[in-house]
Amino acid sequence: MSDLSAQRTSGGGLGGTGRFPRREEAAQLAQPRGRFREIARGSLRNDYTLAALDIATDRLRDNRLAAWEALPEVEELRARAHDVRMRVIDDLDRYVAQFTAAVEARGGRVHFARTAEDASRYVTDVCRRTGAKLAAKAKSMVSEEIRLNDALEAAGVRPVETDLGEYIVQLAGEHPVHILAPAIEKTIEEVADLLSREEGGPIPAELGALTAAARRQLRETFLNADVGITGANFAVAETGSICLVTNEGNGRLVSSLPRVHVALLGMERLVASLDDLAVMLRLLARSGTGQKLSSYTTLITGPRRDGEQDGPEELHVVIVDNGRSNLLGTKYREMLACIRCGACLNVCPVYRKAGGGAYGPVYSGPMGAVLLPLLVGLERAESLPHASSLCGACTEACPVKIPLHELLLELRRDLVEQRVAPWAERVAFTLWSLAWSTPAGYRLSTAFARLGQPLAGAFGPGRVWASGRALPRLGRRFRDRR
Amino acid sequence: MQLFATCLGDLLFPDAVADAEALLRRAGFDVAFPGGQVCCGQPAFNSGHRAAARRVARTFVRAFSHDLPIVAASGSCVTMVAHYLPELVGCEPFDVWELSSFLDACGAEVPRTNEGRRLAYHDSCHMLRELGVSAPPRRLLERSGAEVVALPRADLCCGFGGTFSVRQPEVSLAMADEKLAGAGGADALVTADPGCLMHLRGRASRAGAPTRVVHLATALARGVA
Repeated sequence: MSDLSAQRTSGGGLGGTGRFPRREEAAQLAQPRGRFREIARGSLRNDYTLAALDIATDRLRDNRLAAWEALPEVEELRARAHDVRMRVIDDLDRYVAQFTAAVEARGGRVHFARTAEDASRYVTDVCRRTGAKLAAKAKSMVSEEIRLNDALEAAGVRPVETDLGEYIVQLAGEHPVHILAPAIEKTIEEVADLLSREEGGPIPAELGALTAAARRQLRETFLNADVGITGANFAVAETGSICLVTNEGNGRLVSSLPRVHVALLGMERLVASLDDLAVMLRLLARSGTGQKLSSYTTLITGPRRDGEQDGPEELHVVIVDNGRSNLLGTKYREMLACIRCGACLNVCPVYRKAGGGAYGPVYSGPMGAVLLPLLVGLERAESLPHASSLCGACTEACPVKIPLHELLLELRRDLVEQRVAPWAERVAFTLWSLAWSTPAGYRLSTAFARLGQPLAGAFGPGRVWASGRALPRLGRRFRDRR
Repeated sequence: MQLFATCLGDLLFPDAVADAEALLRRAGFDVAFPGGQVCCGQPAFNSGHRAAARRVARTFVRAFSHDLPIVAASGSCVTMVAHYLPELVGCEPFDVWELSSFLDACGAEVPRTNEGRRLAYHDSCHMLRELGVSAPPRRLLERSGAEVVALPRADLCCGFGGTFSVRQPEVSLAMADEKLAGAGGADALVTADPGCLMHLRGRASRAGAPTRVVHLATALARGVA
């Protein structure tokens, strides 16, 4: 196997189209003003990206709608799922304590990490203590969020992603562009090239051959890894169980073959009981891919016990805060109910044009546009609340009924009230509102606007509008005709 | 009933507002036009400027009576007034209707102005999702003699989104282009929202797209010819 980290730091090569933030550049989750637009422009120039986004999101959306339709009680289930999530979120301290006690009672270790650095440090410490050199990773968005791979590499541990999409993205030195389908924007030729390089010989751009090559390459990782790192779709407070939902079975291999298993979870992943887990599992796969259940639903409760044949000797659970407690008790707390199914991405007309990279390196689509500013601070992600036409398709698609577009509206309000929104924008809206606070002011200001009409396309928003659209004409007002 | 022209209607699409008034009169209503009306405040509200939105929204409260129904030829302004304005300014809710849902609910007759025409109807997002109004405009167009042809993915936003159209112009235009391309087979693309109309018509004109974009009130009152 060639050296993955060497490929990664080379930067160029496949996928080096400048469409995605390179790993090095994306050291921060912060999303500077203008970044969204710049990356979206790149996606829009790429016909393949647009077609891939259309095809993949349409298919996932259609599958979800069919799965929901086949479930007569889906609306009731969504309401129950919302309640199941909010019950935990509104009493999170208690459930984290209960979960911690349950894991420890079964021989696992729990670490509560306040920050990304704290979480990464715990994992690298585990690797160092156990002499681990190779880490097999199952898909984990929270590990992307805390930039765990960078920390592992810095500690001399080679992380290998084993989810096929994540593996492809890792070989390309890029970041996932969809929380469920990370390599959604890659062509089959790009994938063949990446796997060929890893193989050290050509692999035809054909599904069977590519799957066989990936299987061969990943098998070595599964067998040789010293530590297995997974995320957690849910964690059950009453039993201390970790629930993994995958279609490739890699989660099961990663959590059972290596001597040490580290599971990372955002602190809001908890559900109270196995009954509550059942409610969530009925919705998760249906909403993500349209399946009733994914191919593998794995429940892990504690490390290997005496007399058991397999499973890790050590189980570490890292509960990650990393900004989540900012949301507790606020008007944004419902965002913590998100189950990362991707349904909102698949219906979002902005996501399907801008692509996932525009939202930053980890979370994308409407859920990313809401979550990221809350995790990193509005001033570090100020374009995201506006990366939406507020069409509401996300809210309609959310299985746990998060009012996503209304949360975006709230974030916009906070942008203004916390004075993050540009000074000129605040002045413009204030002047406008003063002029339009009386009918006389409205008549006067619009009469002036009519006089100034020839200049409308020359500067400011009018100029942006006119760059792609004819400016409408201000004629005689309706009120003046009566 | 009271007619709310909306700012975009009053300033940019006065013909469409006149068409709405004609349809309402034809249906037998006595149409009042409160002279103090300005705007519902939505442009500022959707950009997060609550104080500015409140200042403008108060003009609406001063201009309109709570005792008579209010009708506007704009799905998004009706959404603003119905769902957000009362909480924003602290007033009682208004009895406010989008034009086609009002006419449809009253069983109003519409003239046979679109005999033999194939029309595509674009659902504006707020009207579709927040007001839940999707059948009435289609029903009225059919009663006007048109065949209503389905748009591919009628659920997709056209990309206007208020200030979104100038904050993310490239994405916004790509969304408009997709919507316009989908309506290629129809004689016209009809929408009930002045915002979508301004955006789609402006884009069609600039891009040289053959699609004609027409306000629902105009399509019903005078036909799309």
